[in-house]
Amino acid sequence: MSKKKKALILAGILVVALALLCGCQAREDAPHTYTTLSELENKRIGATTGSVQAQQAEERFPNAKIFFFSTSVDMLNALRANRIDAYADAEIMARYMMGENPDLTYLEEKLADGMKVAGIFPKTEEGRKLCAEYSAFIREIKASGEYEEIEAIWLGSDESRRTVPDPDSLEGPNGTLRLAADLTMIPFAYMKDGKPVGMDIDTVIRFCSKNGYALEVVSMDFGAILPAITTSKCDLAAGGIAYTEERAESVLFSEPTFEGGSVVAVLKADGLSATGFWESFRTSFEKTFIREGRWKLFVRGIGNTVLITLLASLFGTVLGFLAYLLCRKGSPVANKLTGACIWLVQGMPTVVLLMVLYYVVFKRLDISALVVAVIGFTLTFGAAMYGMLRSGVEAVERGQTEAAYALGYTDRRTFFRIILPQAAFHFLPEYRGQITALLKATAVVGYITVLDLTRMGDIVRSRTYEAFFPLLAVTVFYFAVAAVLTWFIKRITVYVDPHNRKPEQILKGVQTHD
Amino acid sequence: MIEIRHLKKAYAEVTPLKDVNADIRDGDVIAVIGPSGTGKSTLLRCINLLEQPSGGSIRIDGEEILDPSCDIHRIRQKVGMVFQSFNLFQHLTAIENIMMPQMDLLGVSRQEAYDRGIALLRKVGLVKQALRYPDEMSGGQKQRVAIARTLAMDPEVILFDEPTSALDPAMIGEVEAVIRTLAGEGKTMLIVTHELRFARSVSNRVFYMDEGGIYEDGPTEKIFTAPERERTRQFIRNLKVLELEIDDPNSDFPSLLTQYCSKNLLSARMASHLQIAFEELVQQILLPQSGKTGIRFTAEYSEQEESTRIIVKYKGSPVDLASAAYELPLTLLKGISSGMRHEAGIEENVISLTI
Repeated sequence: MSKKKKALILAGILVVALALLCGCQAREDAPHTYTTLSELENKRIGATTGSVQAQQAEERFPNAKIFFFSTSVDMLNALRANRIDAYADAEIMARYMMGENPDLTYLEEKLADGMKVAGIFPKTEEGRKLCAEYSAFIREIKASGEYEEIEAIWLGSDESRRTVPDPDSLEGPNGTLRLAADLTMIPFAYMKDGKPVGMDIDTVIRFCSKNGYALEVVSMDFGAILPAITTSKCDLAAGGIAYTEERAESVLFSEPTFEGGSVVAVLKADGLSATGFWESFRTSFEKTFIREGRWKLFVRGIGNTVLITLLASLFGTVLGFLAYLLCRKGSPVANKLTGACIWLVQGMPTVVLLMVLYYVVFKRLDISALVVAVIGFTLTFGAAMYGMLRSGVEAVERGQTEAAYALGYTDRRTFFRIILPQAAFHFLPEYRGQITALLKATAVVGYITVLDLTRMGDIVRSRTYEAFFPLLAVTVFYFAVAAVLTWFIKRITVYVDPHNRKPEQILKGVQTHD
Repeated sequence: MIEIRHLKKAYAEVTPLKDVNADIRDGDVIAVIGPSGTGKSTLLRCINLLEQPSGGSIRIDGEEILDPSCDIHRIRQKVGMVFQSFNLFQHLTAIENIMMPQMDLLGVSRQEAYDRGIALLRKVGLVKQALRYPDEMSGGQKQRVAIARTLAMDPEVILFDEPTSALDPAMIGEVEAVIRTLAGEGKTMLIVTHELRFARSVSNRVFYMDEGGIYEDGPTEKIFTAPERERTRQFIRNLKVLELEIDDPNSDFPSLLTQYCSKNLLSARMASHLQIAFEELVQQILLPQSGKTGIRFTAEYSEQEESTRIIVKYKGSPVDLASAAYELPLTLLKGISSGMRHEAGIEENVISLTI
């Protein structure tokens, strides 16, 4: 009863928080409106990390303060929240964003020209061959007029034309290509109806279909694309990747698939018209979950998050347990080795650990990112488990061991029959906490291309331009999953607590006389 | 049954057992007594190898247990142990504490283990508590369950390591009664205890431990009524001993005396009498004489008898107490003491008296 009440109160708080944040999106005071680049000399300017525009903005505004973001949506939200005064972006992106956000505009005066979007390839023999093949294809469609057709679809205003054939339908007599793409790069590569679409995706699919390749689209964070190519994890990457000299040092660029300029986006003076709270909530909800069946993305994301959490906690428990058994007798080699592993695993940020595993350790092995994520979190959870076991066993009085020894128990049996059942009782509450911590920690698997709950939230966010609603939705889901997991482990706790047994259970299989 | 030869146990800082030799025979109920820190518990823990001895030999039924090839787990089944802190398995009920070792180690069936467990609980008077967990029982009940658990393994000898030291006085009796019953049944037992009255009533043999070994070993009645050695006597009679070597004239003896009196809670009268005895015997009679070396002053205070025995030993020619010069000190001494004796010897002369 009280638990239900608690859950209700919690849900209530979350809804209110959600509502408040949605409501707060309406701007209070009208911002200053800029019309020329020179007005921005000393202002705060946003740019996406590692983008061409970031470079161009730094060159053009040496005195401005540059803020770095991971997506255009984040920059728009920062603009609305008055954290920045303007942001630099590709003209094509800005144009697209303007269509969805009436309060956004960009300055006529261009930041720079000559942004070339292209496919990138690893600097290997195969990469060179594929790059040449792809470049030849681009030249060919540019000559045949097919290119204009693609451009018209993705840059035009007819939403219904923006579809691509299912990549899975491609037959691949010449093999399968793995395409790395950041599916938040509208209009080059993004998610629609749960499928990857976009101008570059369309081009690549046409290329594959013509040259006899099957295609696998691997969604990842923009920052993960370059390592995925340099380590040949993927055969090519496309989707709003602009040419820079620095990037060209480590990867091959194909013939450009798009050329355009960079602009600076600002807010219009007559910003958002204030809408009612429930109205905006309803719109946000519709955009986040209903439109294009986006709820399916969340379902897939939850599935992956839960899968990683469950498998990693299961394997991690086993791993930590085995490590503890090896070290229990105080063998210096086992202890030093385990100590070093734990030091390494726990000292490293989880993201780095995952990246190292994915791009370095398992570079040559063709195993999916999901498996790597499970391995990575198995290691971290195993380390935690080891620590819990140690402190749990230490919490059991020395006298218990002595009493068992004195009765004639061997060391191993003493541990399993007498010490472990009591230690389990000490560490189970912490274990529960660790599972919840693990669940939240898995939010970084997007870095190695796993589409978990958080990453799906990002993808949806990049389509809806909503800062908070998808984030809070993600939060609610995490809470829900955590609640289910803790409930489950609590059940186990109750089960392993010997004090909860009934007399019949204690004396099972025994004939009592009295 | 158990032969201990030259057993030694040394830690980095202290060496509680220097050289222990003993033969424990079937049917022996041995009370192991002695002051704190004399290795009584260490001796017990060496016998079932909860402590690894530093040297020597322990044979149980002719088998050398310090031999690395010896199966210590099998030996430990023959040597039961009852701990000061009970050490019942916290996650099991009383009956399970008794059943599990039987099933795990003796391979008996659940039913047999249960039947035996109930029989033993009945013996220690705790059948009703069979399904209680250790944290739901009193200390005395826990210790009785622990004894039943040990008995269930049917050991040849049981080691009791201060079985009543952690108990409230009200619960000591119930545990002692159980141990007394076992002694009556002829179980071979070693009992480390500080309860001298219990030791005397339950045992048929006593190890008095001191000076890193078994200082005196003998039948209980003899040890308690006529111990052969000095320290045993002092311990048995619970004497508080003060020993002063009067070689260093600079030592502050009066304050040492005062300390001794306050530490052992001597009455004010007793303390002042002790002070007088020291002044007269040592300072008035012996010290003024030349050539009296190696003077040792010993006081043994007995709380039960409210009396102090004083022994003064010295070397050199005996003092002539009949001399008129000592008339005043002697009168004073006789006023506070009785039974004063002066024995001249070749090595040493001894003056003794009782206050």
